[in-house]
Amino acid sequence: MAKVLVIEDDEGTAEEIVTALGDRGYMLDRAADGADGLQRARAGEWDVLVVDRMLPELDGLSVIETLRSEGISTPVLVLSALNAVNDRVRGLRAGGDDYLAKPFALSELTARLEALLRRPAEPRATVLRVGSLELDLLSRKACRGRRELELLPREFQLLEYMMRREGQVLTRAMLLENVWNYRFVPQTNLVDVHIGRLRRKVDSPDEPPMILSVRGLGFMLRAPA
Amino acid sequence: MAWGLCCVHLPEYVHSITFRWAVGVAGAFGVCTLLLFGFVYWQTAEFVTAAVDTIITADARVNGASTTSDMSRFIRQYLEDDPRRVKLAELFTATGTPSAGNVAEMPPGLPIDDMPHSARLARLDSRGRETQTARVIARRLSSGEIFLVGHDTSLLRQVGQVVTRALALGLLPAVCLALLTGTWLSKRAQRRIDEMNRRVQRVIAGEFKERLPVGGYDDPLNRLAKIVNDMLDRIERLIGELSSVGDDIAHDLRTPLTRVRAILERGRNNAQTLDELSEETDRAIAGLDQSLAIITALLRIAEIDHTRRSAAMTTLRLEEILRAVHELYHPIAEDKGIALRFDLHDVAAVSGDRDLLLEAVANLVDNAIKNTDRRGD
Repeated sequence: MAKVLVIEDDEGTAEEIVTALGDRGYMLDRAADGADGLQRARAGEWDVLVVDRMLPELDGLSVIETLRSEGISTPVLVLSALNAVNDRVRGLRAGGDDYLAKPFALSELTARLEALLRRPAEPRATVLRVGSLELDLLSRKACRGRRELELLPREFQLLEYMMRREGQVLTRAMLLENVWNYRFVPQTNLVDVHIGRLRRKVDSPDEPPMILSVRGLGFMLRAPA
Repeated sequence: MAWGLCCVHLPEYVHSITFRWAVGVAGAFGVCTLLLFGFVYWQTAEFVTAAVDTIITADARVNGASTTSDMSRFIRQYLEDDPRRVKLAELFTATGTPSAGNVAEMPPGLPIDDMPHSARLARLDSRGRETQTARVIARRLSSGEIFLVGHDTSLLRQVGQVVTRALALGLLPAVCLALLTGTWLSKRAQRRIDEMNRRVQRVIAGEFKERLPVGGYDDPLNRLAKIVNDMLDRIERLIGELSSVGDDIAHDLRTPLTRVRAILERGRNNAQTLDELSEETDRAIAGLDQSLAIITALLRIAEIDHTRRSAAMTTLRLEEILRAVHELYHPIAEDKGIALRFDLHDVAAVSGDRDLLLEAVANLVDNAIKNTDRRGD
């Protein structure tokens, strides 16, 4: 089971995160300040770090920068109350792998952690396959079995993102950020509409569905059982 | 006698840069004036000495070849034509005894080399004995006698006195004036700085309406005061806007938070089963999400208003942004049976923030779709 180190100074937030991740079976440890967090991050073998940006003694970005300068490449999810684009860019430039602004839903945190833990195994692959679904990145063709799918450019991108993260819960915010490169949450159900259109093309009525809605969380693509 | 340490408390303005500048300028002015007057005196003295040397050299040459009796006669005639008593001449015997003329004795150490030299010598005539400073030439005649001819140079002393007097009359008042002006300017500047300090302290204490005094002149202090006042204007405006944002958030949050509270209260009191409680909790979470969205939206508006993100400003093509929004919203519009057309001609590049512009246009289209009837256009 994945080992997660949570570096968060706020007792209440840390407790909620630890409880939520513990319920999902993660092995957890917690540090309440930057210096302690840095020490624990160096000492243990962690699969992922959850680092609050504003910490006493040593701020979160300094912790990440120090770890990166020492060659420790453990994935880091940065938590922060600062949500301007510049703050986000600063967090990622310091070495963070993903950035989650407070307040956040615990399901969003979990989904992003899982995405960090299960990064695409072969980022350079030119043909992606999930069950009978195949996506050729060079010829820009998509097929489910023998049926060729006619996808718009954005639908192609969306499907590629989902296929690279097969079996992972993808939240609406993650899709907006990574497929459309948008940092805002629209008022309408934009993502649902686009997913719905893609689903109609991928899952025909006589086929078992591959694009699934996960209630209260987002979406998931996986091969039919 | 006992020596004690005496601590003199100098006025504060003495330490000011203005006063130090004044003292420095006065000192530099004094040195320059001294050098100038010294140069004038030196050049004048050189000129007078050269003129006197020319005269006595000519006199010494004319009389160089005369006999003793002729020399004595000439010296008498030479000295008779001297109403200002500036001429000096003497014929000394080979042993240095004066024999004819108005010089009492041979000046000690005077070289007998037919060259002009400065010397102090004793003049002896009908008015008595008097010491004079003069330029003199002494030459030994073929008879062994020494002929001395000279010219009083008290004019040089007078020139020196005139220069010194001029220096005293001009330099001292000028230095005093510079020091007085420096003192006045320093005190004036100190008063203004004290006043500025008082007002800045009031600003620090929270009186953001306080401003620094600005005079009518365009001097550095006034310019600085204007800059600080502009800064205070901006800070006051920002504080006002911040307060306004806080008020907006508080106002806009009351409704959804009241609703959330009511939902939770109803759930606690009325829910009979776990499913009912879960349903109410989901509704409460949705209400909280709405509240958070309101906070985010208001903060974003404030952010745009304050143009805090000017660093993100780049030159961008509006066409790309509009095309992206069209692509994003076209499916939604289509699902609602609304025609969303993209029709654009000759749009210039603009300087802006891509994310903010995208969000602004997306919000417009979002609202337009939401508020348009099915099959609208």
